[in-house]
Amino acid sequence: MSRTFVNAASVEEAVKAMSTGARPVAGGTDLVVGARQGKAPLPEAIVAIHAIDALRGITGSGGGIRLGALATHAEIVAHPVIRERFTALADASAIVGSHATRSHGTIGGNVMNASPAMETGGPLVCFGAVATLQSASGSREVAVADLWSGPGQTTAEPGELLTAIDIPAPPAGAGSCYARLEYRRQMEIAVVGATAVVALENGTVSDARIAITALAPTIHRVAAAEEALVGTDGGRAAAEAAAQAAAEAAAPISDVRASADYRRAMAAVITRRAIAAAVARARGESVPVPASPALFGAI
Amino acid sequence: MATVEKPRAAAESFIRPDGKEKVTGIGRYTADLTLTGQIYAKFKYSDHAHARVTRIDVSKARALPGVFAVLTHEDVPEVKYGGMVQDRYLFAKDKVRWEGDIIAGVAALTEEIAEQAVSLIEVDYEPLPVVRDFVEALAEDAPLVHEDWETDSGDEEMGRLRNRVGYSTIVKGDADAAMASADVVVKSRYVTDCAQGVPIEPRAVIAQWTGDKVTIWSSTQVPYAARSGVATVLQIPESHVRIIVPLLGGGFGAKCDFHFEGHVAALARAAKRPVKLVFSRREEFVAVDHRREGMVIELETGARKDGTLVARRGRLFLDKGAYCGEGGFFAQMAAMHACGPYVIENINIESSLVYTNNQPSSSIRAPTAPQVCWAVEQHMDELARALDMDPVELRRRTLIEEGSEGPTRQIFDKIGMKETLERAVEMIGYGKELPEDEAIGVACGWWPCFGAQAGAYVKLNNDGTGSIITGAQENGTGAVMALPVLVAEQLGMKPEDFSILYQDTDAAPWDMGSCGSQTTFNSGRAAVEAAIEVRKQLLQAAAEQLEVSPDDLELVDGAARVKGAPEKSVTIAELAGSGTTFHGAGSGEVPEAPACDAEGCVGRLGLESFLAPQLITHAAHVKVDRETGVVRVLRFAAAHDSGKILNPIGANGQVYGGVVMGIGQALTEHTLFDENARQLNPHLLDYKLVTASDAPQIEIAWVETETPNAGPKGAKGVGEPPCVATSAAIANAVTKVIGRPVRHLPMTAERVWAASQGVDL
Repeated sequence: MSRTFVNAASVEEAVKAMSTGARPVAGGTDLVVGARQGKAPLPEAIVAIHAIDALRGITGSGGGIRLGALATHAEIVAHPVIRERFTALADASAIVGSHATRSHGTIGGNVMNASPAMETGGPLVCFGAVATLQSASGSREVAVADLWSGPGQTTAEPGELLTAIDIPAPPAGAGSCYARLEYRRQMEIAVVGATAVVALENGTVSDARIAITALAPTIHRVAAAEEALVGTDGGRAAAEAAAQAAAEAAAPISDVRASADYRRAMAAVITRRAIAAAVARARGESVPVPASPALFGAI
Repeated sequence: MATVEKPRAAAESFIRPDGKEKVTGIGRYTADLTLTGQIYAKFKYSDHAHARVTRIDVSKARALPGVFAVLTHEDVPEVKYGGMVQDRYLFAKDKVRWEGDIIAGVAALTEEIAEQAVSLIEVDYEPLPVVRDFVEALAEDAPLVHEDWETDSGDEEMGRLRNRVGYSTIVKGDADAAMASADVVVKSRYVTDCAQGVPIEPRAVIAQWTGDKVTIWSSTQVPYAARSGVATVLQIPESHVRIIVPLLGGGFGAKCDFHFEGHVAALARAAKRPVKLVFSRREEFVAVDHRREGMVIELETGARKDGTLVARRGRLFLDKGAYCGEGGFFAQMAAMHACGPYVIENINIESSLVYTNNQPSSSIRAPTAPQVCWAVEQHMDELARALDMDPVELRRRTLIEEGSEGPTRQIFDKIGMKETLERAVEMIGYGKELPEDEAIGVACGWWPCFGAQAGAYVKLNNDGTGSIITGAQENGTGAVMALPVLVAEQLGMKPEDFSILYQDTDAAPWDMGSCGSQTTFNSGRAAVEAAIEVRKQLLQAAAEQLEVSPDDLELVDGAARVKGAPEKSVTIAELAGSGTTFHGAGSGEVPEAPACDAEGCVGRLGLESFLAPQLITHAAHVKVDRETGVVRVLRFAAAHDSGKILNPIGANGQVYGGVVMGIGQALTEHTLFDENARQLNPHLLDYKLVTASDAPQIEIAWVETETPNAGPKGAKGVGEPPCVATSAAIANAVTKVIGRPVRHLPMTAERVWAASQGVDL
């Protein structure tokens, strides 16, 4: 049994290695932990991408923002533009794993790991994020929402490397929130999660995007919930109705973390809280980042 | 103006000698050691929780290049071993009884080759019905986990019968008649899941033979039990086995008992190489035969209107898992906790410890107590509601005090039980107004001290420093690290003057190990005795030199000096360097458990009376997210009577850690199994320990009762009690918020949510 390891200095070098079957590793927080846990053995051929400068950084462009694949959760949480305009993403990155996970784990790895329980997935989908995939033969753009095809599965080709994620400007007057059901405050993963991006125009919801996490094989938006919210005042009754629609769209499983019944019931609670916090933020009210601990016990 | 820092008291400023190496990363744990020529061990575990083994073929594994040894039951002596019942073989022979049973061991050049060799081992099985339910396992027609239970040797008092490996009763007066005459009767049933010890350091063992003697480095809490275990399974003299424990990365009881040293020693002998075993985190969950047992607890209590407890009946069922090990005393220990630290006039408790095909359970920090206390203390709150009495007031009226009569008519010496209650409710602010999703719960518990043999040597070195040679095992609590404080005090020296030689079975006398909160209690006594001998020698030598009577001398500040004339003195360094040797040995008299009347009780294993009981009241202030069932502990108050506190930093550390461990056991920690008794969450993401971020503010009070018949200076144990009443206090707070008890431990968010809607999950 032999294993190869290449330390790529450039994207070209990385995708070349991937074209012959190597799997990329950046922070290693999924790959290595998964191997130790017996989920999947370490790949035979590994290409390390952590030293590729071109994959780093968070840059603003025309109201939107570009996350290099190597942007860490700690960098995302600390970024002032993300905290202010893409607050739900900051909510999510702030509660991924532990301090160590957040300082090593990258957004690229998080997205390509395609866990239906990943924290950042809902915010990326709601903000309309687009991933750039690069292979030896060229590059293409795919909406993050279309990237996941099932738990741990993506539509990317084996030779494609995610290099960046572009997030367009959010709707005017929008506030956003990602909230999850968590049993403890660190080292946790969503049992149920919900994202809400809500824009207000003169006190009325003009745009709503709602996604559910850990409630289906992939993270996805729920049109019925969004429709229930648009045109309302975004108040308690409207949030409740939208949350109910989100819960009805859930297809939860029973596992060691929760039963399907409990997950479905919690889908309504957590979605309602995410909507309420997003509306509060849209109104300019302060809800701390991350929102989840602040929403503990919220009525 | 300069600020003057207030000097801290000596005991407060005591810094444990192993602290710096641990926190700076230079400390060596077993897995850090590498021996020349070392190769690696891996185990082939059972593929079934219950099956007959019809064929084992290791030929392909043996033929793999790089493999040095593959061993099965055929390659080691046919010996059954086990702490209280000898019911198992080193390698499974004709039957496997749980998913962690070891069928074969491999030693190979690399871990990868060892793993590959394991995958080449062929085993044929005839699957048998899996005995999972430990209540159903008592049925006469239930499949037997051990068909040959009658021929297995074991403690006579255990009351073994088929799958029942232990049976114990506490009988006092006539509980049936008293129950019939009670003003109020409350009945409750509680269920607990099993949980794990989860030391951060996974187990590691290295064995190296020199001729017919073996040295084993092992992450064990009980080196002397490990030595005797290896001698038994390999049929060699104990003196041929030397166990050395490098730094131990936590145990919590999970590293008690003899475990894997025998397998690794056998592999090293066959391979003619040093062999190293290091567990993965998954093995640390699945392969260790040590976890906190699941229970079913049925309680019924009758009281008079004034709260007097006239009768308690109870039936307890405990899941022992596949093998007995050292945990055979659990039935009796659980029965004592079903009575608790209360005055109860009539008692009839029946407790059964049951074999199943689940992972074996054994001592985890205060074995059996947290689960039973969780049930009993909720039951007491239910009784208080039925009596329309405040639960703290009910406890005030019924807790034991000096002169009270225990469950087996033990009469208690001076104890601070009621004082712990008052201190805890005072610290937490019991009775104050709280938001409706917050509440305070209070719970009381107890735990015995264990008197045991222990021995220590103290010697002085030529430069005037000293060494303590002790059999005691340090598992992280700091108990061994604090022995110099006791010794230095006898000799007028400083704690930092002493080095400690420990955790080497060739160096020091036998010790029970780091278990039962007994290290300070017993080894402290031994070290003090040894120091007293050295003290006598020093005084004699100084008396000769100063030409005075030894009675006129005192040992102060590193010198022997004449009382009242400190200028007339000789330093201990001078005496020690003079050519005379100073050395002492001590063991001290083992305190005995007090008299009791346990005539009506069966399964008496020595726990029917509690020696120097440690007494506990915990109070938890919690907030419940009522829509989700998630519980957060906001504040915690812990009041303990552990007798005299010798090292406040160390003792407080035990309470902080024990409370946080208890919160995990209360809310999130449990091992889940599939229908074939395989663990579903053997990893740290889904076996949810609580984190530092979840820890509440914890306030501590020590009720330092002068305790007769206790350890050094009247000290009792400290390590286990902080785990005992924690989940109970949290439970009583949660019940107040949601209006209904959660009858299943841990009280997970989903269970709290269901209970708040009237459903027991």
